[in-house]
Amino acid sequence: MKSPEENNQFLNVLLVEDSPGDVRLTQEAFREANLAVRLHVANDGVQAMAFLRQEGAYVEAPRPDLTLLDLNMPKMDGRQVLAQIKADDVLKTIPTVILTTSAADDDIAKCYQLQANCYLTKPVQLDAFENLVKSVNDFWLAKARLPNRQAED
Amino acid sequence: MKTKSSLNRGVQIGFGSAIVTLLVVGAISYRATVASSESDRWLRHTHEVIGDLRELRLAMETVEANCRGFLLTGNESYFKTCMASRQDVAQYETMVRNLTVDNAVQQGRIPEIESLTTEKFALADKVLDLRRAQGTEAAADAIRSSRAQEITTEFLGLVGQMEDEEERLLILRDADAKRRLGQTKAVLFLGTLLGVLIAAAAGWMVRHDAGARDRAVEALREGEERFRDMANNISQLAWMADEKGYIFWYNDRWFDYTGTTLADVVGWGGQETLHPDHRQRVMDKIKRSFKAGEIWEDTFPLRGRDGSYRTFLSRAVPIRDAEGKVLRWFGTNTDISETKESGAKYRGLLEAAPDAMVVVNAAGEIVLLNVRTEKEFGYNRDELVGQPVTNIIPEGFAERLISDGTRSAAEALAQQIGTGIELIGQRKDGSRFPIEIMLSPLESAEGILVTAAIRDISVRRAAEKHLGQMEGRYRGLLEAAPDAMVVVNTAGEIVLLNVQAEKQLGYSRDELVGQKVTNIIPEGFAERLIADGTRTAAEALAQQIGTGIELMARRKDGSEFPIEIMLSPLESAEGILVTAAIRDIGVRRAAEKHLGQMEGRYRGLLEAAPDAMVVVNTAGEIVLLNVRAEKQFGYNRDELAGQKMTNIVPEGFAERLVADALRSTADALAQQIGTGIELTGRHKNGSVFPIEIMLSPLESAEGILVTAAIRDISVRKQAELNLLHKIEELNRSNEELGQFAYIASHDLQEPLRMVASYTQLLSRRYKGKLDAEADEFIAFAVDGAGRMQRLIQDLLAFSRVGTKGQEMLDTSSEDALQQAIINLRGAIEESGALVTHDPLPGVLADEMQLTQLFQNLIGNGIKYQNPGIPKVHISATRNGGNKWAFAVKDNGLGIDSQYFERIFGMFQRLHKREEFAGTGIGLAICKKIVERHGGTISVESQPGQGSTFSFALAGNEKKS
Repeated sequence: MKSPEENNQFLNVLLVEDSPGDVRLTQEAFREANLAVRLHVANDGVQAMAFLRQEGAYVEAPRPDLTLLDLNMPKMDGRQVLAQIKADDVLKTIPTVILTTSAADDDIAKCYQLQANCYLTKPVQLDAFENLVKSVNDFWLAKARLPNRQAED
Repeated sequence: MKTKSSLNRGVQIGFGSAIVTLLVVGAISYRATVASSESDRWLRHTHEVIGDLRELRLAMETVEANCRGFLLTGNESYFKTCMASRQDVAQYETMVRNLTVDNAVQQGRIPEIESLTTEKFALADKVLDLRRAQGTEAAADAIRSSRAQEITTEFLGLVGQMEDEEERLLILRDADAKRRLGQTKAVLFLGTLLGVLIAAAAGWMVRHDAGARDRAVEALREGEERFRDMANNISQLAWMADEKGYIFWYNDRWFDYTGTTLADVVGWGGQETLHPDHRQRVMDKIKRSFKAGEIWEDTFPLRGRDGSYRTFLSRAVPIRDAEGKVLRWFGTNTDISETKESGAKYRGLLEAAPDAMVVVNAAGEIVLLNVRTEKEFGYNRDELVGQPVTNIIPEGFAERLISDGTRSAAEALAQQIGTGIELIGQRKDGSRFPIEIMLSPLESAEGILVTAAIRDISVRRAAEKHLGQMEGRYRGLLEAAPDAMVVVNTAGEIVLLNVQAEKQLGYSRDELVGQKVTNIIPEGFAERLIADGTRTAAEALAQQIGTGIELMARRKDGSEFPIEIMLSPLESAEGILVTAAIRDIGVRRAAEKHLGQMEGRYRGLLEAAPDAMVVVNTAGEIVLLNVRAEKQFGYNRDELAGQKMTNIVPEGFAERLVADALRSTADALAQQIGTGIELTGRHKNGSVFPIEIMLSPLESAEGILVTAAIRDISVRKQAELNLLHKIEELNRSNEELGQFAYIASHDLQEPLRMVASYTQLLSRRYKGKLDAEADEFIAFAVDGAGRMQRLIQDLLAFSRVGTKGQEMLDTSSEDALQQAIINLRGAIEESGALVTHDPLPGVLADEMQLTQLFQNLIGNGIKYQNPGIPKVHISATRNGGNKWAFAVKDNGLGIDSQYFERIFGMFQRLHKREEFAGTGIGLAICKKIVERHGGTISVESQPGQGSTFSFALAGNEKKS
């Protein structure tokens, strides 16, 4: 793996998660998976939208390459965020992956309806969780071609 | 009894015969003896002849033998003997001839024999000479060529014949002699016997005669005594005289009447009592009779003790001995003086009699008649007196009365006395008319006379005929009547009955006529009709006329049956009769009874029914109801009977049942039968309540009625409602629970995830970096968290069986199995397990759950194993119809039978965590899945022998 300095590239991932525990776990998991990932955290939907819109405190915020979106959050929950993201022409091109504890079919159906790029259920076991994050990294950040990336020569 | 002379003659004859017989016997014996000796003589003679013949033969043979001997040897001694024998031959021949001189046949043979002998001797001489002369050879030749042999044969033949003849004669004479002997013996025997018998007879006769004589004397004495006894007891005068007429005994009556004593009248003294005018005549007559030995009869006056004379009819009969000689005379004198006097009186009566009276004697002649007879028959008295009664009664009278060979006049009369005999009388002018005669005897001097009272019954006959006609007509009516008719008199006796009565009661007419009516109607009839102290027969009858009275009748066989009688009076010559028309109401009664029973039973059923029962007619009115109906609707029976059904069932009843233009009552009813209809009933107090009615039809005299069983279903309805509520509640509760289970486990997962994850991170990052205790603590924490996570996951899985359960669809159980195997491939590869299966059917199931089921069972089979290769086999067999019994068989550790139930419980484990992993929810989930599919799961196992888990699923075949 090339170092970020050599590529001059970080991968920015926005994690929208209200549970600090889950945030930390996700951070640990990404650290294991890919050191080139810079994990940005929004604790609720409002913050998430502000970040994505690069407004307020987040004027300097980078545009994420991937958004990991939890569903059950206070203030504005993930579904609403998803809806707003996908309603926004500028933002809708950011791959938005739902990462939630819920395995409810309704949630799954709803999210895809709202055009989530992917729906993932957080595994209960730590190992499984770490594997899942690794998979996400491998797929979305390594294998999948992403838009908004300056074309490499 | 024989006379002395005859007896003597008899004896003489007897003895004479005996002597003659003996003489005859003697003569025969003598003759027999003579014959016998003669016979003997002949026998001897014959034997002699035979003997001589034999000797002759022998002599001849001797001659021949010696001759031959000489021829052969030339020995002179032979010659000598030969010659000597020849002389014997001649001698015997002569003897035989002499002896058979009486027998021509034998004599005839003699000359022949003699000539043969001569010839033979001549020949022999020649031969002998030849022998002497020329020797044996020449002699032999001569013999051979001569007749010598022939002669011998002929000779012997003849002699033999003579012998035979004598033998035959011998036999004959022998037989003859025997026969004669036999005859002699027989004759002797019989003769002797005869002699003896005759002698005996003679002797017996003598003795008998003597006895008879004794007996005769005895008999006479007895007779006298008997007469004496009788004579003293009769009203007549009586006496006994000896053979000469010498009266030696009079009875007491004689002495009473005449006032005499025996001494006065003994012997001929009795004539003193005779009336002087008659004395001579009477004595002459009686002496004549005595002499002649004839019965004496005379009528004459005898003087009584008071000096007056009374007329007596006198009679005497002789008593004879065995020889006919008169021994005694028994006489009687009967006082007929009154008879003579009363004759006139009698005549007077006769004349005055209203009927024709005729007196007839034993000869059938009319002796006396009265003036009515003259008038009736149109004769004059003189024209009838002395005439045969057959002049006026051609047939029937004489035959009945005249004594004939079979009975005396008295007997004949006795048979007719008292009976009214219907005959035909004939008038002078020849016309005939029906009469009835009544006879009575009349003793008279002339013997027994018959007085006949003759009544002209032509009028009566006509009346009878008329009555007969009436009767006939009545009888016809009676016979033709459809009911049994019986006519009863006031005495309660059956006078008349018709054929119907015979049939109904099982009697024949004769058995009932004259019998008491109580025989056929034991009670109720007589009491009603017989006049008693309080009313006459007529009144009694009047009370009963017209009313139909129900009684019991009794048949001949004793069986009884109910009847209804209708009475009507009938006047008759015998008084008031009652005609009773008897009708068998047995059938009617039975029907009534049956109906009553039915009604009663029905009513009983109705009352006893647990439901309210209401019977409604086609007009919708309540006809009948039971007590429960009263209670249910709060009415009294009377308040509802006749009221419209709509009073208690406002809607729904009438419309269903009442006939309308579209359908008949029957149709309407038919549609409703059997169905339980839910309607609303209305209580008297106006409250309504739900009811269910069941209808059934009821045929009755009034047409089709409907029986409605009405059941108050308010309780049921309430219960139904409650049930519904409960179900709703349960559903809600279930849902809540399901949600709860889901939410609980889901929400629990979150913090648990944190704990588990960070303790693991801790363990990972700081293992070995902290002290050993810290490691231990962290290890326990991690373990605990992990367990909790698994528990909750399992709980979730368990609850999802119900909440996330899918519809039962046509599922391939093989596919489900394959999926389970795929899911288990890790475990299968790791353990090297062999999972096999039979062809599995299509079933109705939730595929995911079926997969889960297989997965759990197979997983267990692989997990709970001894070291070695785990083998799991899945099979399915049809289990009756549309069910499949699945079996998952493994070769694992097996399960002790005491745990068979427990292992299906939640979180139940048989092993320590260290031995085998798992929360113990697997089989619980299996059970829940199977139960959700409508089956049950069970296990068969033995420790060390593996286990077989079985469960049933419904097949996927659609029911046609």
